[in-house]
Amino acid sequence: MEKTKFDIDNENQWCPGCGNFSILKSMKNAFITLDLEPRDLLLVSGIGQAGKLPNYLACNMLHGLHGRALALATGAKIANHNINIIVNSGDGDCYGEGGNHFLAAIRRNIDITLLVHNNQIYGLTKGQASPTSALGMKTKNQNHGTISNAFNPIATALALGAGFIGQGFSGNMQQLTHLIVEAINYPGFSMIDIYQPCVSFNKINTHAWYKSRVFDLKDSGHDYSDFKKALQLVHNKNHQIPTGIIYKSPGIPFHERLDVLKNQPLVEYSFNAAQLEKTLGIAQFDKGDNQ
Amino acid sequence: MHQDITILIGGAAGQGIQTIGALLAKVCHNAGLFIFSVDDFESRIRGGHSFHLLRISETPLSAPCFEPDILVAIDTKTYEYHKNTLSSHGIVLYNSNDSKKAESNIYNIPLELLAQQAGGKIASNTIAAGAVLAILGAAFKDIEQVLKEQFVKKGKSVLDLNLKAGKSGYDIGRKIDSSFCFDFTLVKHENMVMTGAKAAALGALAADCRFFPFYPMSPGTSIISNIVKYSDQLPIIIEQAEDEIAAVNMAVGASFAGVRSMTSTSGGGFCLMTEGLGLAGMSETPLVIINAQRPGPATGLATRTAQADLLFAINASQDEFPRFVFAPGGVIETFDAVKKAFYLSEKYQVPSIILMDQFLADSAKTESGVFEIGHEHKSFLEQETKLYQSKDYLRYKIIDTGISPRRVPCGSDALVRASGNEHTQEGLSIEDPENRSVMVEKRFKKLKLMKNEMAQPLVFYDNSSFFLAAWGSTKGSVMEACAKLREQEIDAGCIIFEDIWPLDFNTIKRLLENKKLIMVEGNATCQMGTLITQQTGIQFNESILKYDGRPFYPEYIMKKAKQIMGY
Ligand SMILES: Cc1ncc(C[n+]2csc(CCOP(=O)(O)OP(=O)(O)O)c2C)c(N)n1
Ligand code: SF4
Ligand SMILES: [Mg+2]
Repeated sequence: MEKTKFDIDNENQWCPGCGNFSILKSMKNAFITLDLEPRDLLLVSGIGQAGKLPNYLACNMLHGLHGRALALATGAKIANHNINIIVNSGDGDCYGEGGNHFLAAIRRNIDITLLVHNNQIYGLTKGQASPTSALGMKTKNQNHGTISNAFNPIATALALGAGFIGQGFSGNMQQLTHLIVEAINYPGFSMIDIYQPCVSFNKINTHAWYKSRVFDLKDSGHDYSDFKKALQLVHNKNHQIPTGIIYKSPGIPFHERLDVLKNQPLVEYSFNAAQLEKTLGIAQFDKGDNQ
Repeated sequence: MHQDITILIGGAAGQGIQTIGALLAKVCHNAGLFIFSVDDFESRIRGGHSFHLLRISETPLSAPCFEPDILVAIDTKTYEYHKNTLSSHGIVLYNSNDSKKAESNIYNIPLELLAQQAGGKIASNTIAAGAVLAILGAAFKDIEQVLKEQFVKKGKSVLDLNLKAGKSGYDIGRKIDSSFCFDFTLVKHENMVMTGAKAAALGALAADCRFFPFYPMSPGTSIISNIVKYSDQLPIIIEQAEDEIAAVNMAVGASFAGVRSMTSTSGGGFCLMTEGLGLAGMSETPLVIINAQRPGPATGLATRTAQADLLFAINASQDEFPRFVFAPGGVIETFDAVKKAFYLSEKYQVPSIILMDQFLADSAKTESGVFEIGHEHKSFLEQETKLYQSKDYLRYKIIDTGISPRRVPCGSDALVRASGNEHTQEGLSIEDPENRSVMVEKRFKKLKLMKNEMAQPLVFYDNSSFFLAAWGSTKGSVMEACAKLREQEIDAGCIIFEDIWPLDFNTIKRLLENKKLIMVEGNATCQMGTLITQQTGIQFNESILKYDGRPFYPEYIMKKAKQIMGY
């Protein structure tokens, strides 16, 4: 394998054959395609196998808590909307523990790119069901099978009005690279749910299982600007898995909704003692204000 | 003796009790008098029983008073609940159409009826305010001025109605004989009337806070409401988060990216924030959290006060890491504590927690301290002009102080890696036992220096035989109780803790040795006393504890202290 400027010398802890390697490779490819430098990137992640990813490439990194990556990333983006933020999360991390932040990030249309490594299982904690595990899936801890219906992230994102929704598969790096490039280029919240085989714990949704079901939306002539078509795709019952851009439409990102961020990022304002003095003056002498 | 009067205005929620209080406070404030007011209200919008206590004095005040000289009873409940706390010469203004007086000190005033005669029932609060101000000795022009300020925006008819109502109440008040007169022609001062919540908001601004994610929870919300007022003039973003977990994580994320951030909440929200607090501790990211305490556990009493989160704040989140904890004792103290919390959090790259409470957040007082911007906004970030080869920068570089140079991400070729996982100096996850030990020690190296930053507790009357020991918002009431006990020739001193953690307890041990300690705390288990014992081995002798959701008043502390001291 040829070396890239994003490679670092740090022992990778994933199992051999894990789909995460292809996601990492696709990300590096996308960064190179976009002519990005490690210094330009902030990777934010939660906890899980997916969450480890920022440790395996050259970048700025904020490795936070299980489920909370989107909230951390939202804060960082509000502080400095000029930085390019990518969140690596797992299906449990993002749709389970961090479900509320997933909903909020879509509603805010915060300009970050979310990559969900969806292996339909909890990998790091050794194979419990995740929100995206199919109903009835048996695991060590769900020995009679899961009792809840599976969460449909794409349908949820569509329903909430997300402006960029992609479905990827780690087994198709070329497509995934392209999706990541498109997602980063999209101004606003962009998400790609990426099916990723977990070779150690998910014996049902294997590489071959996905391979026999995925098809590329480019080949089927899908119009990703058509909301109704997108909805039909996610509710299709023929057990095929559409991959590519599911839906894309422009929206106003969070930072463009705020006047104070029109001219410069929050972090670039300097402390304005004179203005503050004035403000404090007003604050102190509004006499009798006992609210 | 100088004049010192307390007025209690009580009624149902929605009857405008606070409006009367605000009117009185404004007129008194304009005359150069000092006030201290407490709101006691239920977690409901209408009905029930609420009251507003307004203490007025010719000299500065730092505590409320619970024995009203003038009881304004808008409803019967108020009279029934409070008649027994009336001071010895106290009078009652009773909202009643009855012309017969039940007792010689009760004055029936038909508020609604008079308001109707003035032009509208809605002005009955102004009738009450007019009457009280007349009793206090204000001239009608003083009232007129404040009414104009208050109602001019609402149009001429509303203003006229209120002026008429004010005069009608005033004329009634003039006929009531009392000894509660102030001089309303005093030299005016430039002090302000301010709540703890507002002081906290201003402190944050003075410390260059630019991001304030929050989730509403009383009494932490009033801090947000106060900062919102200035957000159009300053570069500050206030964002309602989806929950407290998001709020704290958003604050950590923004702080990591170089923007000073804080969030405020109450105990329940603080519970949800504890994992995020630990993330700030582990990733060495500055963070300021205000926990405005209320009684708990769980939802507890939503609009009431407590001091029961002290040990929780010191220990919150799993495992161990250095942090600062402050519990300011008053309004200016809150302003200064918030500034200090930001400053130290940035300097040491550790989280700071400020313990306020409903009493401190919502009570208003005339503050004569000076609100200075100071130097707390100073940045501790390493300048981007310092250059590194990309791999040379170590976010968690081991150095003597434990405080590694901190930079913002994406500002230079130096790659900044922060992590909540145990990490190498570079910031990469690692489980190596040696590295783990070195990193735990690195984080704790800061502790010694942190202790030096903390102020020692305030001590008054060092040689007294009994010592009242308190922390946080109880400060004013304990100090007043102590002073009044001494006026009665009772040998009491006091010690007040405001900088809470980490403290140099060796010094405190020397201070407290051989003293008879009476802990005064708003909790049931004497948390500060427990901490003192744990850290110094010194046992507290007695305690005055209160966990009814209501604040400490000096009278209560005096009564209990005397019992303990055998008077
Ligand atoms: C607060 C908290 N709860 C639970 C855990 C344990 N935990 C770590 S990763 C994980 C689930 C990971 O699953 P997923 O997000 O799907 O990531 P994967 O490992 O499959 O990539 C859990 C439950 C934790 N670290 N923190
Ligand atoms: S457990 Fe599964 S997801 Fe985790 S590294 Fe191994 S194969 Fe990948
Ligand atoms: Mg998973």
